[in-house]
Amino acid sequence: MRVGVFICHCGSNIAGTIDVAKVAAEMRKVPGVAFATNYMYTCSEPGQDEIKEAIKREKLNRIVVAACSPRMHELTFRRTIEKAGLNRYFLEMANIREHISWIGLDKEANTNKAIESVKMAVAKAMNNKPLYSQSFKVNKRVLVIGGGVAGMQAALDCADGGLEVILVEKSPSVGGMMARLDKTFPTIDCSICILGPKMVDVAQHDKIKLYAYSEVDDIKGYVGNYQIKIKKKATYVDWVKCTGCGACMEKCPAKNSYDHFNFGVAPTRAINIPFPQAIPKKAKIDPNYCRQFVKGKCGVCAKICPTGAINYEMQDEIITEDVGAIIVASGYGLVDMDKFPEYGAGRYPDVITGIQYERLLNASGPTEGHILRPSDKTEPKTVVFVSCAGSRDKSCGIPYCSNFCCMYIAKQAILTKDHIPDSQSYVFYMDIRSPGKGYDEFTRRAQEDYGAKYVRGRVSRIYPKGKKMVVVGADTLLGTQVEVEADLVVLATAVTAAPGAPQLAEKLHISYDTFGFYVEGHPKLRPVETNTAGVYLAGCAQGPKDIPASVGQGSAAASKVQALFSKDMLESDPAVAKVNENTCVGCLKCIMTCPFGAVKEKELRGGRIVANVIETVCAGCGVCTATCPCGAIQLSHFTDNQLLAEVNTICQK
Amino acid sequence: MGPEKMKEIITDVLKDVDVVIGYKQGFDKLHATPCFINKAEQIEEIIWSPVCVQNLASFLPSLKAKKVGVVVKGCDSRTIVQYMQEGLIDRSKVVVVGIPCTGVVSVKKVLDKVNHQPIEDVVFEADGAILVKTPAGETKLSLADVSPDKCSTCLYPTPVVYDHLAAEPIKSVKAPEDVYKDVEEFEGKSLEERKVYWEKEFDRCIRCYACRNACPMCVCQDSCIAESRDPHWISQKSNLSEKFMFHMIHSIHLAGRCVECGECERVCPMGIPVNALKKKLNHDMKALYNYEPGVNPEDKPPMYTFSVEEKKIEEHKL
Ligand SMILES: Cc1cc2nc3c(=O)[nH]c(=O)nc-3n(C[C@H](O)[C@H](O)[C@H](O)COP(=O)(O)OP(=O)(O)OC[C@H]3O[C@@H](n4cnc5c(N)ncnc54)[C@H](O)[C@@H]3O)c2cc1C
Ligand code: SF4
Ligand code: SF4
Ligand code: SF4
Ligand code: SF4
Repeated sequence: MRVGVFICHCGSNIAGTIDVAKVAAEMRKVPGVAFATNYMYTCSEPGQDEIKEAIKREKLNRIVVAACSPRMHELTFRRTIEKAGLNRYFLEMANIREHISWIGLDKEANTNKAIESVKMAVAKAMNNKPLYSQSFKVNKRVLVIGGGVAGMQAALDCADGGLEVILVEKSPSVGGMMARLDKTFPTIDCSICILGPKMVDVAQHDKIKLYAYSEVDDIKGYVGNYQIKIKKKATYVDWVKCTGCGACMEKCPAKNSYDHFNFGVAPTRAINIPFPQAIPKKAKIDPNYCRQFVKGKCGVCAKICPTGAINYEMQDEIITEDVGAIIVASGYGLVDMDKFPEYGAGRYPDVITGIQYERLLNASGPTEGHILRPSDKTEPKTVVFVSCAGSRDKSCGIPYCSNFCCMYIAKQAILTKDHIPDSQSYVFYMDIRSPGKGYDEFTRRAQEDYGAKYVRGRVSRIYPKGKKMVVVGADTLLGTQVEVEADLVVLATAVTAAPGAPQLAEKLHISYDTFGFYVEGHPKLRPVETNTAGVYLAGCAQGPKDIPASVGQGSAAASKVQALFSKDMLESDPAVAKVNENTCVGCLKCIMTCPFGAVKEKELRGGRIVANVIETVCAGCGVCTATCPCGAIQLSHFTDNQLLAEVNTICQK
Repeated sequence: MGPEKMKEIITDVLKDVDVVIGYKQGFDKLHATPCFINKAEQIEEIIWSPVCVQNLASFLPSLKAKKVGVVVKGCDSRTIVQYMQEGLIDRSKVVVVGIPCTGVVSVKKVLDKVNHQPIEDVVFEADGAILVKTPAGETKLSLADVSPDKCSTCLYPTPVVYDHLAAEPIKSVKAPEDVYKDVEEFEGKSLEERKVYWEKEFDRCIRCYACRNACPMCVCQDSCIAESRDPHWISQKSNLSEKFMFHMIHSIHLAGRCVECGECERVCPMGIPVNALKKKLNHDMKALYNYEPGVNPEDKPPMYTFSVEEKKIEEHKL
């Protein structure tokens, strides 16, 4: 065994707090190490050339690179050694940057830790075996989950590139949150006017198959070959027959149904088409309110419908689609008002949320674009906007910034003045965050041209006083207490992960953060990838962001899928579980625990039953290896013996 | 209760199974030994008394291909339930002859009482007394004094699963909270005390693996990781750390699976209380997953399920 060790300085990132020359010198004393050196930037072209040359010159057959996280450059160095003729799995990395130099200032302690860490990597490398990938065919169809602006953009870009797209939208129409907005910052152009045509394109594109009011039920398979079970929820209206004429909605006697599209600003009918531009423009029954379901008799819509589309007996339906890649664009949710007892916790009708206000501003909203207070339907003259309702508030469990509220508050203040010229808006804010192109100018315009009064401070309490709502807050710039008697209060409620986001992540086997937002492959360099091959992210599902950023991610995710599908065959990762048939006792416990269903029973010629891993399905998670009592199932590249070699290196003195 | 009813049942059962596993007398009256019956004339050999200590259910997985009748006590029956949960037997190929049990003897305890004299005769009297005859004379013992610890807290004197019952069912009069009293008491000791205790116990271990071989739930048998080089978790050295490691592996592999039959402890030639470790883990499993091995065939052993969120283990705070 001839191991070569390359210690990277990473400029001063590593060399600043680790004596890299000493680490290299120590490695030269380790049995099996034939060559050890340190270099300024190992990942640079000359750095990689040095590795290749050393492999030839020193006849090295195992390589250890001590540098940054393998997440960063493992692939880089695997390719390097492969070019020099070694199996790519003969590479081992020691992460002496994120794990050592970045987290400690004591150079001596760091150096000692680095020496141990690199020794462990050497021990592992000496136990590494050559592994070989298999190639398999790619199914060039893509599933997009979520039909908001991000998902639609991704679907259209994929379809325009010639790929077949399956678009699954949970609600009855595509459009997402953007379809609910009135105008959009910073240009104040009508939201549905720019979104509507995209929605129509989605509906009419011959490469896009849209499943609205549907959810992903189950996902099986792996990059290139997924089997997706889609649950089409019962709408109780046959969408093939429904023409979207709306006659049913007019006649439905259940007039007090909750309007999900309008976030409950006004009631809707039990049978409804969510909004005039809905795609598909089809009716659906809400069985929580429909009299036929609640009371067992009504049938008005069935009588009125000219095409006989109503079907009270309809059941959920499961459809299977095969795809090769998945784009997740499931968007965001908003925190509930009842999180805010100090703001009345949703008890005062004239304290509403930003998205509800969008609906009041919107010409196709329940008030036809007239701003009317929910309590008495009068025009508010004093409107108070409260930013960061929940956001950046650790006590609310939401330490992060919701990204776009500052901007939409400015937009809504401008629109308020446009709608009601003698009105006055107040904005309570913590900081104004408007770093986008033209954004700061926009928030200034709200103040300077539209006279919105910005008060820097948190609102401590809101309470009713006659017909008014009194907003009590601090002005931290003046150091005084402020009270405003408002007609209407708008809370910029914090953005949360979409409802059900963690459950969807589990189905997709992607990671999510503490808040339920999906975690990207790398915060800078892989913003739309996940750590699961074949699954990409777009829009607010990854974190709060505005429309331009969501659209940009939609296109980016689509281009990633195009790149993936540019090949007909993909290579499997050989770092998967493998069963030693000689020692497997056939207890089949591994089958019970494998979260991917990758282990199957196999009968050997003598009739003995053993476990068998389907290589392409195995995700290399290692759950089975922890289950197997006799160690018969081992994860290639992370075998017990490989890990034990590392442990023994630091434990045996 | 004599073995007559049991013999009748077995005569019947034998007609449609390949073999029935029961007890017969061993080399003396204090020792029973398993017998494998496949001919009617063997039925006469069958005995049933408190010396029938072995857990006969342990043989079932290795006889999976055959149709088998098996005689089980209440405690042994939990093994069958656990096998069912783990898919290690095909229940339709097992005929369970259950014996409601009032307690067995610990051979070790009896021998201690008679100073390890050769046994000439053992008689079980109707009032629960035991007469043991040795060359040194006759000793009268009470069953309660010589039964293994497991009997004193037994909650399942009547088998939890059976096809035939050889006597009237018996209700347990023991308190469920007493089952883990020993564990709880031991937990009350300091870390140092516990360490000293186990080091002393394990130091005697000769790594004969009798505990492992007798354990009905040790499915690996010849593939046991304790004797494997790949993976090489443990060496063959006979030092304390390796013995300790072996027992940790054995215990962890039985977490939430040990049916507390006590076979491991019964067979240990060095008298090491190895069952205590498994009981400790079972106690923890009960606290974490509200799971008790070997009582309900529908249960799933928690270690053999994969669930993303565990109720009592906090991973994601959502
Ligand atoms: C009050 C308010 C005003 C705003 N004003 C502006 C503005 O003026 N300009 C601007 O740039 N941005 C604005 N925004 C932000 C804007 O709404 C978002 O940037 C944009 O909607 C993000 O799009 P998306 O596709 O990522 O998510 P969404 O719009 O949330 O779309 C996600 C879609 O996925 C669907 N979905 C969710 N879960 C599933 C699932 N499990 N399966 C299938 N489908 C699922 C949802 O039903 C939804 O249709 C505003 C936001 C608010 C709250
Ligand atoms: S858990 Fe181990 S021994 Fe049991 S079937 Fe799976 S590989 Fe074989
Ligand atoms: S490593 Fe094991 S448990 Fe994980 S996916 Fe592969 S076979 Fe299943
Ligand atoms: S560990 Fe001991 S008590 Fe538990 S099942 Fe095995 S032999 Fe019985
Ligand atoms: S039976 Fe006793 S001596 Fe033998 S291995 Fe088990 S604990 Fe050790």
